[in-house]
Amino acid sequence: MSESKIWGLLAQYENPAEIYHASEKVRDAGYEKWDACAPFPVHGLDKAMGAKPSKLPWAVLLIGLTGSSLMLFFESYTSGYAYPFIVGGKPLFSLPAFVPVWYEMSVLSSCLTAFFANWIMSGLPEPYHPAFASKAFERVTDDKFFIMIEAEDAKFDLEKTKALLADTGATLVEELKP
Amino acid sequence: MSHTIEKPTDITIPSSSMWAKLPVLGGICAATGLGATLAMAFGEHQARAMFSYLWAYEVWLAVALGALGWVMIDQIVRAGWSAVVRRISETAAATLPVFIVLFIPIVTVGYHALYPWTHETDAILERKRWFLSTPFFMGRAGFYLLVWAALSIYLYRMSVKQDAAGNDDMAKARISRSIWRFSAVGIILYVLTQSFQAIDWMMSLQPHWYSTIFGVYYFAASTLAFFAFITLVSMGLQKAGVLKKAITIEHYHDLGKYLFGYTIFWAYIAFSQFILIWYANIPEETEFYIARLHGGWEWVSYALPVLHFFVPFLYLLSRQVKRKQLLLGLGATWILLMHLIDLYWLILPNFGAHGEGHHEPHLALSWLDMAALVGIGGVFMATFGWLLARNKVVCVNDPRLPESLAHENY
Amino acid sequence: MATANAAAVNLPDDPNVRGDVVLDEPVAGREPLVRGQHDFHSVTEMVCRVNEVPLKKTPMPFVFGTLLASAVFAMFGGYIGYLIWVGPGIWGNNNPVGWAWDIVNFVFWVGIGHAGTLISAILYLFRQKWRTSINRYAEAMTIFAVLAASSCVALHTGRVWMDYYLFPLPNQMGLWPNFRSPLEWDVFAVNTYLIVSLLFWYTGMVPDFATLRDRATVKWRQLFYGVLALGWRGSMRHWVTYEKAYQILAAFSAPLVLSVHTIVSFDFAVSQLPGWHTTIFPPYFVAGAIFSGFAMVQTLMLPARHWLGLKDLVTVKHIENMNKVILLTGSLVGYAYAMEFFVAAYSGNQYESFTFINRATGPYWWSYWIMLSCNVVTPQLFWFRKIRTSVGWSFVLSIFVNIGMWFERFVITVTSLHRDALVSSWDYFVPVTEALYLLGTFGLFFTLFLLFIRFFPVIAMSEVKGVMPQANPHWSGYDKKGHHAPAHAAVEEVHP
Repeated sequence: MSESKIWGLLAQYENPAEIYHASEKVRDAGYEKWDACAPFPVHGLDKAMGAKPSKLPWAVLLIGLTGSSLMLFFESYTSGYAYPFIVGGKPLFSLPAFVPVWYEMSVLSSCLTAFFANWIMSGLPEPYHPAFASKAFERVTDDKFFIMIEAEDAKFDLEKTKALLADTGATLVEELKP
Repeated sequence: MSHTIEKPTDITIPSSSMWAKLPVLGGICAATGLGATLAMAFGEHQARAMFSYLWAYEVWLAVALGALGWVMIDQIVRAGWSAVVRRISETAAATLPVFIVLFIPIVTVGYHALYPWTHETDAILERKRWFLSTPFFMGRAGFYLLVWAALSIYLYRMSVKQDAAGNDDMAKARISRSIWRFSAVGIILYVLTQSFQAIDWMMSLQPHWYSTIFGVYYFAASTLAFFAFITLVSMGLQKAGVLKKAITIEHYHDLGKYLFGYTIFWAYIAFSQFILIWYANIPEETEFYIARLHGGWEWVSYALPVLHFFVPFLYLLSRQVKRKQLLLGLGATWILLMHLIDLYWLILPNFGAHGEGHHEPHLALSWLDMAALVGIGGVFMATFGWLLARNKVVCVNDPRLPESLAHENY
Repeated sequence: MATANAAAVNLPDDPNVRGDVVLDEPVAGREPLVRGQHDFHSVTEMVCRVNEVPLKKTPMPFVFGTLLASAVFAMFGGYIGYLIWVGPGIWGNNNPVGWAWDIVNFVFWVGIGHAGTLISAILYLFRQKWRTSINRYAEAMTIFAVLAASSCVALHTGRVWMDYYLFPLPNQMGLWPNFRSPLEWDVFAVNTYLIVSLLFWYTGMVPDFATLRDRATVKWRQLFYGVLALGWRGSMRHWVTYEKAYQILAAFSAPLVLSVHTIVSFDFAVSQLPGWHTTIFPPYFVAGAIFSGFAMVQTLMLPARHWLGLKDLVTVKHIENMNKVILLTGSLVGYAYAMEFFVAAYSGNQYESFTFINRATGPYWWSYWIMLSCNVVTPQLFWFRKIRTSVGWSFVLSIFVNIGMWFERFVITVTSLHRDALVSSWDYFVPVTEALYLLGTFGLFFTLFLLFIRFFPVIAMSEVKGVMPQANPHWSGYDKKGHHAPAHAAVEEVHP
């Protein structure tokens, strides 16, 4: 099997402590195109991996504010201009009475952004991934922990990377095909 | 990798620090401020002086009551993160007995000047006599003040007793359990007394007006003021070399979250009260807002949602702000300032609105406001400083202290 | 450090301390959230077992339950048809009682929904880790309860086919909804609530769907859960964004849950009607909503944890905590009742006073006293630890709360209306077919709920695993090399 046909390497670990220390080693070895997978977010593992904080809050803030201002404009426009009609003695532009809907739509636009941005930023839905071919990887959503290093990584070298993974205490190292 | 966290050793106030001098400094403030206010209260400006006095009284009472409520809630929910600042709040609450003495001018010199129902009457007031009558009012006030004093003294005493428990785990646990049980019952008394206090001492300034949410409004205001206070005090204590390592940015972050949360809660309650009264537009209720929309008060009314809500809300929204001492300190100072304005807006429009020569309320600041604020603040801070120096500034034997010291936000 | 302070407590490193054992409350350290000797895999097994029973082997009681619920649901469909055909005249509503069971049912169901969001969002923000065992359940309950509630409001408009006018859709007459009306606020509040709850629920479930997908042995399961799981593979880079999104959703849901019942309370409180117009309504409704919702969570969860064998995950500690919330919110509701009564007397306004005295002594006195005894009196039994850690008591008292909270809405809606300002307009409301209406909403709710239990992961596995002590990479149970950790934690480490 030639190296070019390999997508990457998959290494299995048994518990959060192992993957934590292994991730530190892989990070320190200078790899960039690699990932750790776990059945739950392991506290501190993102730092051990050197992952950057998510930019998601900015998207939420931006779109949330936009949605919020659009709604206030829309309420003022429909009630005050497009269909001016006094009901219950309330002025056409009644800011206090606009607050509830204004507020709800701010929340809705922010939450929709958070929801969709979450999947988009992670590249999901992703129906196929090379790791899915591995039988062992089925337990990533149960109780096993994995590190994958992509062959595309500049530092990737089949033998050396394998050795590194074995050295980090992996209980299993597999080659993944694209 | 479990790193052990050492118990703090810098747990007494150094005698050279400003905190140790608080009783003296506060005493001087109290003497000048209260002296001036009360001297004026016996002259022709009696009503104005007493309104300032009542305002200042409620401002500081809010801090102490907020502390009392939070200490109990904190114990009931078995909070872990906050043990390191609990003694500070217990101490702030333990100033409550002093408020008994401070209350005397309100029901003697200021009684008629403040409360129109004591000497006026009309058809509505006649129907309110069962509640708004001098003996009942006095009895209730005595009850509230004694309940607060009892609750706060017990909590403070028990906590100090735990300090002395040494290494006796059983004794420490026993004391904690007693405090839990006591707080669970105490909180009921607390909620009722602080609500009815707000009705008695502030709502009845405008005796026709009523609002069922008023007690909750005061609760929100007082808890918010308390969190601002404890944030600033913690910072001040650390400056003086106390709890240097014990109180970390993680605790400030959480205090900042509470400031943020209660800012929202205050706005929620204030808006709920406003929109319901504004929407239904029933004359006996709208008088409250009408009084606050004339004579200069309208600017305060418009400013409150902006300065008391939007500004601190947007400011404290950021994690960075909550995690920088200086920025958080600015936020807390701002909130404390807004607390003053909020209560000013609740109380002062009633000045001169009733009785002979009554007039449309108009906003007019007086030097008496400052005098009263400094005076009562002096008494409060002197007591607070004195109590703080008497004992350790942290509950050294609180079983949750290790958890609090290791606290981390994520 | 934690170990030293936990001295006074018998924390279980003992696998025999299962979920049903009542432990002394620790003064330091925390009780374990998962009892018995469990590791990550056994948690997965415990939860997935419920969903992985082959279709043909579905237990008979479950099949019958679902059939019964869906029969009631079908009856509800028929009832709706009849309602649309004949009109809301089939209800006992009249003048002056223009609102009755339609709104009572609506507020009842929306209120129940609130506990789900409270557990998932507010407890999350307060770092209450025990929420992980019950949040999925409660969120599902939220969604189905809000659906039941929406069915009530959508149907009470009379001309149901005109409901689209509630939404700001451009139309040939140039009409726009009246954004100054509380009923329009409701449309936005309830819809936002439904959508955000769905997003929150689904986001939380994706990692668990992935678990079910990876364990699936049959084609349809692989496909079904595979589609729902979106290709989730537990990547830490995904988890980082995911946790941020979850946190943001929680941060928005918390004020959202307050706003929804606040707006529901505005439906009543912006009016000038004595008994409806009172400023404490917003926080009072919110407290009541959480109260009824927690009671409903208890009612549903206590039997489920027994039948589904989830006692080690949903322990007595969880039940006790929920009972404490019920006690707290029940007392807050009691505070609001007292405050309303007091201010009615204090106000010197005869109409206010009359309304409240009429509630307690008028023709609907029984509903008032049912409300008061079920909402304020019986929950006080939870002051006793024996009672709040007893499964039987919790179940019975939670049902009382459900009943009491339905009657609360009845008291508010009907007794405030039936005595109009003019004595000549006084009338007494007699329900006609509304019982079927209420029953029907239960059919809708339980059908969906039973299907949820059967096909969706009822416990947030990934979250439960995350709060187990061995989830901490620095847990003392892992030796220095990090190999062969023991299966169970002795004491939950407080911190790294």
